[in-house]
Amino acid sequence: MIIIKKDVFKRRSWFGRNPHLVCILPSVIIMGLLVIIPTVFLYYLSLTNYELGSNWSNVKMVGFANFKRLFSGRDPEFWNSIKLSVVFMVIATSLELVLGFFVAFLLNREFKFKNIVFACLIVPIAMTPSIAGQIWKLMYNAEFGVINYILKIIFNLKISWLSPEFAFTSIIITDIWQWTPFMTLIIYAGLRSIPLDPYESAQVDGGNAIQVFRYITLPLLKPLLLVAIIFRAIDSLRLFDVPFVLTQGGPGSATELLSLHVYRLGFAQTGWIGRASACAIVLLVLTILFSQILIRYMRKGDEEN
Amino acid sequence: MRKIKRRKLLRIYKKILTAICIIFVCIVAVFPFFWMALISVKTKIQTYDPSIWFVKPNFNNYRNIIQVRHVFYYVKNSFIVVSLTTVLSLALGSMAAYGFARFEFKRKENLAFWILSLRMLPPMATVIPYFVMARITGLLDTHIVLIISYMLFNIPFTIWMMRGFFEEIPKEIEEAAFVEGCSRLQVFTKILLPLVSSGFIATAIFCIIQSWNEFVFALFLTGVNARTLPTTVTLFLSVTGVVWGEMSAIGVITALPVMIFAMLVQKYMIRGLTFGAVKQ
Repeated sequence: MIIIKKDVFKRRSWFGRNPHLVCILPSVIIMGLLVIIPTVFLYYLSLTNYELGSNWSNVKMVGFANFKRLFSGRDPEFWNSIKLSVVFMVIATSLELVLGFFVAFLLNREFKFKNIVFACLIVPIAMTPSIAGQIWKLMYNAEFGVINYILKIIFNLKISWLSPEFAFTSIIITDIWQWTPFMTLIIYAGLRSIPLDPYESAQVDGGNAIQVFRYITLPLLKPLLLVAIIFRAIDSLRLFDVPFVLTQGGPGSATELLSLHVYRLGFAQTGWIGRASACAIVLLVLTILFSQILIRYMRKGDEEN
Repeated sequence: MRKIKRRKLLRIYKKILTAICIIFVCIVAVFPFFWMALISVKTKIQTYDPSIWFVKPNFNNYRNIIQVRHVFYYVKNSFIVVSLTTVLSLALGSMAAYGFARFEFKRKENLAFWILSLRMLPPMATVIPYFVMARITGLLDTHIVLIISYMLFNIPFTIWMMRGFFEEIPKEIEEAAFVEGCSRLQVFTKILLPLVSSGFIATAIFCIIQSWNEFVFALFLTGVNARTLPTTVTLFLSVTGVVWGEMSAIGVITALPVMIFAMLVQKYMIRGLTFGAVKQ
């Protein structure tokens, strides 16, 4: 009797037939709630004229007015922030890539205290970004900053790092300090996993160092490099904390990246949540675009394995 | 003969040059942290003089931030938020990770990659609806709203990290346990979790680091009651000079624990930074 009951139960139970659902449903439901409701709400906000502190009864649907404003060219600061974000992404990512290659090649040999070197490289990655931003702000200080002190001794230079001319360079330098180790670690792992045979045959054929790099190392590292580059590209688009602490988008709007522009529209002084939401959606779409490229690439790699 | 000697000399020069480059890279990487620690033990007057690199430590700044600025209040907030979000994300995430690693079902990869894409949402875009919704529901400036929003990036991270670790364990071990008469839950807790324990701990540490360092959500969703350590920098944004020492002392207290944690997971660093996409 009991046995039959158990059997019936097993056959009828939906979870009995789909054991994976027991595992994944809790997370999927929670992620759905945490993402879909706020996203829908963000789209809704972008269609309203909601301002911080205003009454809900005053909130009106304005249709696509917020978006029209962004794209009609009436909002030069928006285009400025897009431009800055893209320039920042391209310059920071490519410099990190080149420097990462350089450091990875330096480390790709046997020497003592290698562990200590890697421990040092992890410091910028792990350090709380907002705190790091604050310390760089101290170091950039034109009068009492240590960077100008060192520059003065070596080159007799004095640069006002956070002035309109140099602020953008400053946040790029800080980003390079923070994320070059990431590139280095990935490229180093890649170099270590390359088989030796192609190098041996290249030596037999008499290729020089540049040829070996161009025709052997680079193609073998390509999959890893692409993942690293897209990761950095997405991260630099999303970047908020370091420039917020370092410059707050200023002076003027010299370092107002897209995230900071959203911040200024929505939270600082003005509180135009509606317009900020429209801008945030542009940011969201850009990030999704890049992450789709990354994901498509990762999936292709998965299927090949 | 002379040629060989020159070649030898050249090799030594090359070695020295590499060593210098490596040391330079290490110094640049560590310098901001060193400088912060140095300023935190300087006296007020000394902070204005960048030529002082060695001082007799003066712990006034630390005394001030503990007594006047109540730094342990922020430490407590950070601790509550980080520990709860880590525990919740690990429990939910590793269960889901097991599901993705062991079962075949329709649209599995679509679902998995949708979850991964959530990890890449720009915080500045997601924080707006969270902020407005928290205001409406009265959850603004509570620990709960931060815990919820941190799960937003910790759960996808846990799923992807743990999935990789689970997939590395051969299926046969599990099947043997089923034959012995273990239930799925028993297999999961008694056999699989001990086997992936190092990966599990690494994942937990990454969750801790990410939540501890998080800035955007903490900045907009908290005010007085639930403020966490990283946002204390805003206390010093407008004022200059005078309180550099105190600011650096808070910085040391904030950054030191994550630094130690990060050293512990050095082995998994790349894996963690790429959500398991690059395995060493």
